[in-house]
Amino acid sequence: MLITYALGSCIGICLYDKQIKLGALVHIMLPINGEPGRKNTMKYANTGIRETLHQMMSQGASKSRITAKIAGGAKMFETGGGALGNIGQRNIDSVRMTLKAEGIPLLKEDVGGSTARTLLFDVGTGLGCVRSYGKPELII
Amino acid sequence: MEIKNYDQLSSLELDTLKEIGSIGTGNAANSLSSLIGKTVRIKQPEVRIMGYNEAINWIGGPEEITAGVLVRMSGQITGIMLSVQQLDFVNLVLESMLGHGVEDYLGLHEMESSALVEVGNIMISTFINALSSLADINIELTVPAFTVDMQGAIMTVPMAEYGGQSDYIMTIGGNFICGGKEIPCRLLLSPNIKSLNFLLGKLGVSGGE
Repeated sequence: MLITYALGSCIGICLYDKQIKLGALVHIMLPINGEPGRKNTMKYANTGIRETLHQMMSQGASKSRITAKIAGGAKMFETGGGALGNIGQRNIDSVRMTLKAEGIPLLKEDVGGSTARTLLFDVGTGLGCVRSYGKPELII
Repeated sequence: MEIKNYDQLSSLELDTLKEIGSIGTGNAANSLSSLIGKTVRIKQPEVRIMGYNEAINWIGGPEEITAGVLVRMSGQITGIMLSVQQLDFVNLVLESMLGHGVEDYLGLHEMESSALVEVGNIMISTFINALSSLADINIELTVPAFTVDMQGAIMTVPMAEYGGQSDYIMTIGGNFICGGKEIPCRLLLSPNIKSLNFLLGKLGVSGGE
């Protein structure tokens, strides 16, 4: 079981190759890695997803079989924007766009809103479980 | 020297920031004390430079539910100020102001939440006012926003905001003591890197515009 705790505007992405039961959970914080040479590629939606797909394929996964489920991208505080606007929404857009560009089907998602989420990913079954404050658990 | 990342701060700069934390938190404690009619002391404020994992695992763990008041700063300083209020603090405030506490966060209705936002807002404003007159800078504040949710997600708000500049976040903050007991409420000031340089320059330590 893979877990990522307290996703606010961040997004957790479960990537899964059902046939060989190989799964990965990526936790991204920002939409786009604009700066070349940034060490932490996993922090960004575009480079984080691509890097993880690459690693999965080197472990024997086939890109044509990999599917995705995502959770997160909330807006924690209702404030007048800030310099970067709604980071949660921009993360959602970037994750969807990157998955589409890579040809990875997005099977299920639980995104947006204003509540934080903890995401659990069962690599044995490919099921994700979303835990939020004051809400019943949600299986994705 | 102008810094590019929070971990480049010298010990003189860190001491200066601690002093800011001390003055800001002291003023905030003063206003909290007049609001609740009790003596409030402060603990030695701390400057923390945290990576992502450290920030979300901070006091009580990522899924610990807590109340948070957030105010954005603009003007000569850009950044975020947070008041993170755990349940004992919530009850201290509510019992003094409304005459009743709550059993858990689900007991926070409109009146209770509104009281917490106001207390958070007043403490943040007092902190910022002190900073603003100390460094002779102009800081504008937005109206406060309020949420009750997982602490890890609240802590990562400033992180996501400035994550494009740094893999670390800096918080200047202090804790309060009331009736001999530590009360879990922290005021966290998170300026972005540019503002931090500007502030340090204004205070004559280093940085510069």
